[in-house]
Amino acid sequence: MNIEIRDLYFTYPGGVEALHAISLNIKSGEQVAIIGQNGAGKTTLVKHLNGLLLPTRGQVFIGDWDTIKHSVAKLATRVGYVFQNPDEQLFSKNVGMEVAFGPRNLGFNGEQVQALVNDALAMTELSDKTETNPYDLSPTWRKMVALASVIAMDTPIVIFDEPTTGQDALNITRIAHAIKALRERGKTVITITHDIDFCAENFERVIAMGQGNVLLDGKTNDVLRQDAILATTYVDPPQLTRLAKRLGFKNTVRNQEQFLAELRTNYTL
Amino acid sequence: MAIVNLQNVTYKYPLTHMPVLQNISLQINEGEFVAVVGPNGAGKSTLCYTLAGFVPHFFKGEISGSVEVAGMESSQSTLDAWVMNVGLAFQNPFNQISGAKYTVFEELAFGLENIGVPRDEMKARVTNAMDLTGISDLANRSPYSLSGGQQQRVALASILVMQPKVLVLDEPTSQMDPIGTREVFGVIRKMAEQGMTVILVEHKVEWIAQFADRVIALKDGQLLLDGTPSEVLTSPILEESGFGISRYTAVARKAHGLGLWKTDRLPVTLEEAAEGFSFTPSPSLRSASQSPQGKGERRP
Amino acid sequence: MHERLSFFVKRDSPIHRLNPMTKVVLALSLVLIAFSSPWYWTPQAIFLLAIIPLTFIARVVKEYWSFFLKVILATVSFLFIMQSLFLPGESRIIFEIFGLEVTELSAQLALRNATRIAVMISSFTILLLTTHPSELMSDLTRRGLPGQFAYVIISSLQIIPQMQAKAQTIISAQRARGLDTQSSFFRRVGAIVPLVGPLVFGSLVEVEERAIAIEARGFTSTRAKTSLHEIPDPSSERVIRWILIALVLVSITLKLWLS
Repeated sequence: MNIEIRDLYFTYPGGVEALHAISLNIKSGEQVAIIGQNGAGKTTLVKHLNGLLLPTRGQVFIGDWDTIKHSVAKLATRVGYVFQNPDEQLFSKNVGMEVAFGPRNLGFNGEQVQALVNDALAMTELSDKTETNPYDLSPTWRKMVALASVIAMDTPIVIFDEPTTGQDALNITRIAHAIKALRERGKTVITITHDIDFCAENFERVIAMGQGNVLLDGKTNDVLRQDAILATTYVDPPQLTRLAKRLGFKNTVRNQEQFLAELRTNYTL
Repeated sequence: MAIVNLQNVTYKYPLTHMPVLQNISLQINEGEFVAVVGPNGAGKSTLCYTLAGFVPHFFKGEISGSVEVAGMESSQSTLDAWVMNVGLAFQNPFNQISGAKYTVFEELAFGLENIGVPRDEMKARVTNAMDLTGISDLANRSPYSLSGGQQQRVALASILVMQPKVLVLDEPTSQMDPIGTREVFGVIRKMAEQGMTVILVEHKVEWIAQFADRVIALKDGQLLLDGTPSEVLTSPILEESGFGISRYTAVARKAHGLGLWKTDRLPVTLEEAAEGFSFTPSPSLRSASQSPQGKGERRP
Repeated sequence: MHERLSFFVKRDSPIHRLNPMTKVVLALSLVLIAFSSPWYWTPQAIFLLAIIPLTFIARVVKEYWSFFLKVILATVSFLFIMQSLFLPGESRIIFEIFGLEVTELSAQLALRNATRIAVMISSFTILLLTTHPSELMSDLTRRGLPGQFAYVIISSLQIIPQMQAKAQTIISAQRARGLDTQSSFFRRVGAIVPLVGPLVFGSLVEVEERAIAIEARGFTSTRAKTSLHEIPDPSSERVIRWILIALVLVSITLKLWLS
């Protein structure tokens, strides 16, 4: 399920032009992180993918569907969107029912729903909490319920809006695992994040936005090399990227494996 | 002189079975900048509430042990005395805006109106707090029209006007974007440098490694570690218990295992990591980089 | 601009400069006199000789008339029509439609009642157009209104629009989970829980945090409160208030005496 964005412009009703001339393609199965200041247009862009916003000019295609021609409910069969604040989604009596809400809306039958729910709960380590009321869980676990609710919809494309905000290291690891599992199933994963270390370690492609424009778009290592442009997004490069640069390594580094590999290459007795 | 003295504090919220704080003993001296790390659910927020007097006075529940902060003792003083001495700010700036005032200036004065500060002094304190937090140019704006970072600074300023002796901050940058995070950390650092006693709960380990005097690690309601950033943040216990540690520490530990990090002392900041790895580059790179370290000089 | 729910229009006018309490007393007096005075033409007189001139003196003509056309006119017209058709009373029939009669008497009473309502809505509109809610609440608190009560009213003015924004986000989040907000009525009724649930639960979480935040700023302190802004209350206004109250009492007395 490819995503094609053609010359997208978007202006909010108040007159603010939030996106200018965005053209990009995201192929099936890609893992993309979108970074940038608040107000750069990240959420505005991503809301065009499931029809919550429609272009002022230009087109957005999800597979062969032009988003203008399909309702948000229809597009939800192809694009799952996990909002930043789980408390803006959770309402059910228990976790099981909450997670079943999405797939039910999409028209799966009872058996299918059950299978999808069980699968999503396993991926998010919630299998033992099926009967718990979501609001009896800590905010950390409520986040996982929100994730599970969308994963259960089994959409080919999944969008995460700031999944790691306020989370501790353990939960970030859980979220990273869930994203990895989605990748292994061939899903396209798009994430908006301020956590540059999380971004660098889990995503192969990075799009940096600023003031409604795409400033950078490419492989993570290539994007991280562009200090000057990245600086305009006020995002500090990942810790290991900075360290590698400081030590004068030739290649840009984005995670521990790459750092250690570079270290070995540069090490002399 | 200890401005915070917790002795064997155990606390349980009402209608719950598990104590959220277990036998916590902690002394903090005036002017210290203490960071608190721990997984979610460790009791960090409850610790903050305890230092600020909300536990037990607001939340009720069962508390044992003694809590002394800024000359007040938990069982003796009431909440309105506590809030005069201890300032508390938390994650979500939106929930800290009173909603009762239409401009930032008035918002900051809200607390002072409540405690009966005379008008002239009110204006002076508000102006001063706005200077400290860099929001003077926002004085006539509505608090609801501001960015996250600006709102959080308004929240901090509205606490600072109360002139607390101790500042307790519960993850103030968790919901900020990069600019907001910088702005908020900037204010916190300034307060610490001016001698304020600051207790900061944070996940952003790299920053606290650079600026905190001391780090406390909390897990399951218990105090696991208490020491300098270097001691605590490089302890293997942290990584084992699922705490967030800086990538510098993590990668140095791995490098150590491969023989590529020579000392037993692991780095917590960029500087320490750069120093520690800098004798490993090949000759061609060593001469190319301008490291003041020179060739083969090891860290002590 | 979803920043606040209020009518207040910032202008410099003699009415704006009045003490909030004076304006409250003025509004209440106009209403009470309109309703109680035994003289038939009172409401109409008040409307023409007090309300309309006030909108000019207060320099809120445009805003008032815009509100009048949007809300007041429809309301009082409807009232007038209903009352003139349905009020009982023996007198000459002026007009008849669908078997319902409009008599001279009913028309007269309908006019008076409709105008009374117009006076009532208009007085309070002018009050709200010329008084900043914060100032009003401050003044009332100074005069004895419990602080918590004032806080609830005034924070609602700002927080409710914010909740509207939150409600929008909830709707988006649930639509993104396939919730169909455009189909049949019954489906939409079923959509209420997923929309209202998060709003309520989320708000409960926020309320606790806000309570702690204002507590941390001395909200429940028992000390005497001070205020940042001085709200002047010249003795001339105090006199005016007493005169207005006296007029109300005269009006009520006359009504009781003559009935």
